[in-house]
Amino acid sequence: MSGYDRALSVFSPDGHVFQVEYAMEAVKRGTCAVGVKGKDIVVLGCEKRSALKLQDTRITPSKIALVDEHACLAFAGLNADARILIDKARLEAQSHRLTVEDPASIEYITKYIAGVQQRYTQSGGVRPFGISTLVVGFDKNDSTPRLYQTEPSGIYSAWKANAIGRSSKTVREFLERNHQDDMDREQTIQLTIKSLLEVVQTGAKNIEVAIMAPGKTLEMLPDDQIESYVKTIETEKQEEAAKKKTRAGTTTAAILTRPGGGESTD
Amino acid sequence: MDKLVAQYSRPPHQNEMYSEQEQQDLTASVPPLSLKFSLPPVDNRSAFLRAMTDDHSNPSCPIKLAHGTTTLAFRFQGGIIVCTDSRATAGNWIASQTVKKVIPVSRLSRGEDKKTNEPTPGLLGTMAGGAADCQYWLRYLSQQCTLHEIRHKRRITVAAASKILANLTYAYKGYGLSMGTMLAGMTPQEGPALYYIDSDGTRLPGNLFCVGSGQTFAYGVLDAEYKYELTEEEALNLGRRAILAAMHRDAYSGGFINLYHVKEEGWVHHGFDDMNPIFWDTKLQKGEFSNVTSAL
Amino acid sequence: MYGVLERLGLRRSKLQLFFGRKKSAKRRLTQQVADLTGAPGVKLTARPSSLNHYSHSSSLIIYLLVFLFSISCNATCKEVLLGIAGKDFVILAASKAAMRGPTVLKAEDDKTRQLNKHTLMAFSGESGDTVQFAEYIQANAALYSMRNDTELSPSAVANFVRGELARSLRSRSPYTVNLLLGGIDPVTEKPHLYWVDYLASLAPLPYAAHGYAQYYCLSILDKHHHPDCSLEEGLALLTLCTDELKRRLPIDYKGMLVKVVTKDGVREIPVDNDKVVRSA
Repeated sequence: MSGYDRALSVFSPDGHVFQVEYAMEAVKRGTCAVGVKGKDIVVLGCEKRSALKLQDTRITPSKIALVDEHACLAFAGLNADARILIDKARLEAQSHRLTVEDPASIEYITKYIAGVQQRYTQSGGVRPFGISTLVVGFDKNDSTPRLYQTEPSGIYSAWKANAIGRSSKTVREFLERNHQDDMDREQTIQLTIKSLLEVVQTGAKNIEVAIMAPGKTLEMLPDDQIESYVKTIETEKQEEAAKKKTRAGTTTAAILTRPGGGESTD
Repeated sequence: MDKLVAQYSRPPHQNEMYSEQEQQDLTASVPPLSLKFSLPPVDNRSAFLRAMTDDHSNPSCPIKLAHGTTTLAFRFQGGIIVCTDSRATAGNWIASQTVKKVIPVSRLSRGEDKKTNEPTPGLLGTMAGGAADCQYWLRYLSQQCTLHEIRHKRRITVAAASKILANLTYAYKGYGLSMGTMLAGMTPQEGPALYYIDSDGTRLPGNLFCVGSGQTFAYGVLDAEYKYELTEEEALNLGRRAILAAMHRDAYSGGFINLYHVKEEGWVHHGFDDMNPIFWDTKLQKGEFSNVTSAL
Repeated sequence: MYGVLERLGLRRSKLQLFFGRKKSAKRRLTQQVADLTGAPGVKLTARPSSLNHYSHSSSLIIYLLVFLFSISCNATCKEVLLGIAGKDFVILAASKAAMRGPTVLKAEDDKTRQLNKHTLMAFSGESGDTVQFAEYIQANAALYSMRNDTELSPSAVANFVRGELARSLRSRSPYTVNLLLGGIDPVTEKPHLYWVDYLASLAPLPYAAHGYAQYYCLSILDKHHHPDCSLEEGLALLTLCTDELKRRLPIDYKGMLVKVVTKDGVREIPVDNDKVVRSA
């Protein structure tokens, strides 16, 4: 009697489906993605895998993908799996438009994606999707920002701000400390980039940011703007550190140091 | 021999994979509604149906469908007025004088079947054409709307509901369906919305539609006095009067005037009234219908 | 999840009923887009040259067929579709009446659909078929743009449309739809106008018409159109055509909806439909 650690549709004696948990492990190894909701905006930030010298970064596919005019998605985990899942989501989004005229709600798209992921945990001969996704966007004629997360098991959940992928725990904790309701566009973008910088050491060139606003389609933040955000954040940090240093000199309080970049894989 | 070889040379894992369809069948949380009907064992079914039911070319045809109606709906500043007659005819025979041709769609929003004067949320559909077709497919639409509401956690828009129905009628185009339906409703996303859907698969949003054998008579009265700025009272009266005109002139329309008003909070029923007192009222009080007289 | 029936390409579900075939309509969309994307450049770019040639010769024959058909199919012919390509634009105009039997159901109907930023399609024909087909094409075009992060060129769209129409022509229930397709190639910024009829013949033309409008307008356009005309000249030319239709056509088609495609996208041009035109 064996095989429950290999076969998908077999439980382990203590109630685990190991293949699904392995898939979640694959997510943890993927590059980090962050989603933050503001007052009437929602921002996605992604850590880009550092490119090799000869790689053409301009046309290497991004981790942020448009599902429909009003909805987009960022993922962490296996790139190739994501491509398939995104394609299914796009098809469903268009199909929904065609059958009921209205664009699908963000929750519907999320539910669909999670549904597909769930299906691949319960059929024979298939492997679960090794990705988690953050789905963001706005419903038709509605200015409430939406942010959902899906997982390989098929769970989906709604968030104010969340991170997935490598060191997502660090980033999520950072977001928990710093997220406020009713942030405007600038603040939301800033928080997104700041939280990413917690784990991305290489700075601006390895970050991509996408912005969704009501009634508009996806806007990718240009590289030079990301860079200027990163610069202001870094100078702020340095100033703060300098302040602390002077204070530390006078009062001998414990020096606050940030935990590094978490467990860094690739 | 080849068969034998094939039987044994198949890779052992070939059957492990499920096709996408099988997977879907296996794991889809909701089974698709079965819409498979038995069909007559003939080559051209619509022609067969026409031969069996067309009473103009063949007065002794075995099936006489319930046809003939007047229904109207129009948008105005205060919402949407929906008004119908109540006669069902089969050939030259009046099958019923008390048909409810306005069908509330989407049961969930309607709540329990309570009897109050409060507006009831939900959509209204009208029926013209084959009574059975309309009732059946509006019931089906109601199902779909309820499911949509549960899945999406919000009321279905009129655009979406009308599209579901139009896709359906389009899929059955040429099968002999006969229906001309209007869907009226008000949702926060789209405001007051009115759609016309028929068995050709046509689907049109619009301000004003009349459907049925008496449509021309209703159009005549309605178009002359319709404007978007009508008050609620004027709109209700105009709807009632337009249907009355059609009931008076069209042999296949008559019975009771069924009047509804769709507002932001939902629809309100404004009576199911016998046309005869209303007709005599209109004639004697207002002096209209002056051709109805024994003096000539 | 919606049942198979309400899915795209509902015509497929009809077939399903006929043959009891188990093929989800959804897969049909995937299939087509797979056709489109499967061998990207090859299929799409190879098609225009070879197929245009074919359609050119066949369109003449079909023209005659259309002439014969037009006498019997008057519902379709009451609708007016006009297209004019100029120097850097394409004008598409469609009549605004939606008719059924003796009544005009709607006087502000829009018989056009935008397929992508630079392509517009105008349609007439069997009610039901028209919108269903147009939106089906629209969804496929949108899906293609989304998947490949790029737009199909007008010629690619036109040939895709022709292919779809040709495929449906050989099915149990063909789409009875006449189309005009106008667009600006996003790369070359050259205007393209395609004429497609319900028998799926495709012809690239400098100006085109469908329905009774053909009989009046083509002669006018033959005389006055030149390929380098500006937008103003193009619109003046259109007025020439619509005036003639008002003068001679015994049908009230409730005026024209005029849209123009330029390199900046599609926009509607307000026109005066209330102008009274007296016959000489």
